[in-house]
This record gives sequence, C-alpha cells and structure tokens, in this order.
Amino acid sequence: MELVATAQFRRAMERAIAAGSYSERVVRLVADLARAGGDVSHPLLDKRESSKKAVLLILTANRGMCGGYNGGVLRTAVARFEELKRTFENVELYVVGKRGFSYLTYRNYKVARSFFEFDDKPAFAEVDAIASELLERYQTGEIDRLDVVYSKFYSISKQRPTAETLLPLAALAAEAVADEGAEEASSAGNLQFEFLPSPRSVLEEIVPTAFKVEAFKCFLDAAVGEQIARMVAMKAATENADEMISSLTTTYNRARQGQITNEILEVVGGANALS
Amino acid sequence: MKCVAVTPEKKVVERETKFVVVPLYDGEYAIGVGHTPVVGRLGAGELRLTLEDDSVERWYVEGGFVEAANDVVSLLTTRACKFSELDLNEAKQALNDALERPATSPELREIKTKAVATARARVRAAEKAARR
Repeated sequence: MELVATAQFRRAMERAIAAGSYSERVVRLVADLARAGGDVSHPLLDKRESSKKAVLLILTANRGMCGGYNGGVLRTAVARFEELKRTFENVELYVVGKRGFSYLTYRNYKVARSFFEFDDKPAFAEVDAIASELLERYQTGEIDRLDVVYSKFYSISKQRPTAETLLPLAALAAEAVADEGAEEASSAGNLQFEFLPSPRSVLEEIVPTAFKVEAFKCFLDAAVGEQIARMVAMKAATENADEMISSLTTTYNRARQGQITNEILEVVGGANALS
Repeated sequence: MKCVAVTPEKKVVERETKFVVVPLYDGEYAIGVGHTPVVGRLGAGELRLTLEDDSVERWYVEGGFVEAANDVVSLLTTRACKFSELDLNEAKQALNDALERPATSPELREIKTKAVATARARVRAAEKAARR
C-alpha cells in the first residue's frame, strides 16, 4: 500500500506542477496588465459589504489509512466554520470526500452539498463544474464569501491544513503587485504588450479564470497531501509490523526452546531414575 | 516560431510553427514570425497551426488568453483538444443546456449569453470536424 501511494503521489505531483505553472502564467499576465492599464480592479477582487451568506468548501479524502490527514483538515475546518458563523448569518458547508462528510454529519453539522467523485486525480472539468456554480452564486450576490479548507502543499516533507479565502480573490491582486516589483528588479520582461481588445476586457476574463485555477490547485494540493500522508502512514505501519514480527518471533522461539529444555530435563530425569 | 498551448492540467500542444491562427473573442487573429508583443482574449473555436513542413494542424480551444512575444505564442485555455476528438452530440447537448439556463437578472443574463456563445462555437467546430 505504501508503494501504491508512492506511485499515486508521483502522478498527483506532476499534475500539481503543471497547474502551478499555469497559475504562475496567469499571475504574470495580471502583472503585465497592471503595468499597462494601471489599476487592477474587478468585482471579484473587492470585498463585499454585506455578510449574508458564506460557503465553506472542505476538501477531505474518500478513504482513510492516511494518518492524521483528514483529522487535521477537519479540525481546521470546524474552527473556520465557527469563525465564519460569527460574521455571517448563514454558512453553507460544501464537503468533498466521504471522510469529511461522515465526520460532519455525525457531529450534526448541516452539509449543503457533498462530492465523492474526486480521487487521486481530480480533473479540471470536474472542479470547473463546482467552481463555476460557486462563481455564479457569488456574481449574482447569493453568497458573499467563499472559503476553502484543504491541506496545502509546501514541500514533500511539509503540508499543513490551511483555511483560505477564495472569493473575493484578494490574493491575486497582491501577488500581481509583488510579481510586478520582482520583474522590474530583474529588468527582464520589459515588453510593452498590446491588449486585444483592451486591458479591461482581458482582466474581466482573467479574474474568473484565476479563481478556477486557484480552486483547481487546492484540489490538486489536497490530492498530493493525501497521498503523502498515506505513504508516510503506511511506511510507519510496515515498520511497526516488522518490529512486531521480530519481537513475536523471539517470544515464540524462546517459548519453544523452553519447552524443548523441559522435555530434555524430563527424559534425563527419567533415565536417571531408571538407572 | 514556437506555439505552446496549456490547460490547467497539462501542456497540450508544443510545436514549431510558421504561422498561427487563434480564435479571439470576436474573430480570428493571425500571428506570424516577428509579431509585435500582444495579449488577447480568446473565444471558443479553431486554433490552426501551420507547421514547418506546411501541413496544417487543427485544435479546438475554449476561452482563455493568447500571449505572443519573442516569437513564442502561448495559449492559456481551460479546454483544448484535437479537432477530430470533438463530439457533435455532446456539443449539441451542451448548447441545449446553455439555452435552458435562466436569465432573470442582468448577471445571469450575462452568464447565459457567454455559455450560449461558447456552446455555439463548439457545435460549429464539431460540425466542421464532422464534415472533414
């Protein structure tokens, strides 16, 4: 099972890297836009005044055997849920993964939507369906905020359960500004782009795309995190089992040897008595 | 001139080309060697690549952006597939679904218009692919 998890982890990792390069390109485009068109403003980037409804998306695994992975994510999720409930009148829970669903329903949290079709390779089309639905609800003003809780991937040895705000997408503008500063320092990429039809229109398209890719990245990170957690858990399980086998073998051998010694003593004792 | 098309999942196309025609949101746009740096908003439609040996490759892309600079054309798109892989029935179904969406508020109308336009472009492309 450790080997299976390792193979799945490699695959998930490759996908995560591909999505990472895509979102980097998107951020770079926004930085180019900021340079060409001045301000980067879009309805999806601005904080909403109203606080009627929020959605909390929780990404957990469908299966167990992955150590503290689900527990960590769910603890963070519950904390964020309570926090959101203080500011928003209504908080809906969207749960991905059977583990999260059973944990939350068992504790009497109301789960609005649940998704079990994601495994170790979430497809963009599947994530896109959920993301588009949420985006639509946000655009029509039905929800005012979207938070996601997932296991964020930092490196192979470090993943942390993280709660992030996906809508409004404040992070995009901040990243773009940071990126712009970095690029100016390196003096590379000083190209002046022509925008078709206009920076404004490109921005209108790029912000929803950035949101969807961001959401997709969360799913991929979660998939990678799950496989790593499973790999580590199963490695520990194999090692524990090996240790137990060796200690049980010793105990067994000792008992057998004891019995043999006993029998020899009886035979010798009997022989002595006869002679 | 290099042409690269990526979706969030993977790099779909990477080719050496002589000439590229991309579907912008309002019509086709052609990019040749030495084109001025440009960023454009893509619509849904046919991406035509004229390769080094003058053969033409056709791809279907749906939304996103094209960036051309330093003789590299890169497309960021949400969906990209070979023209021949398009399924006409599926495209028609998507169009029907889009047409059935509610348009009761300005925001919903905008979303619907976009979905319908994308679905129509897909049907058109699929029909074209079926004729070939």
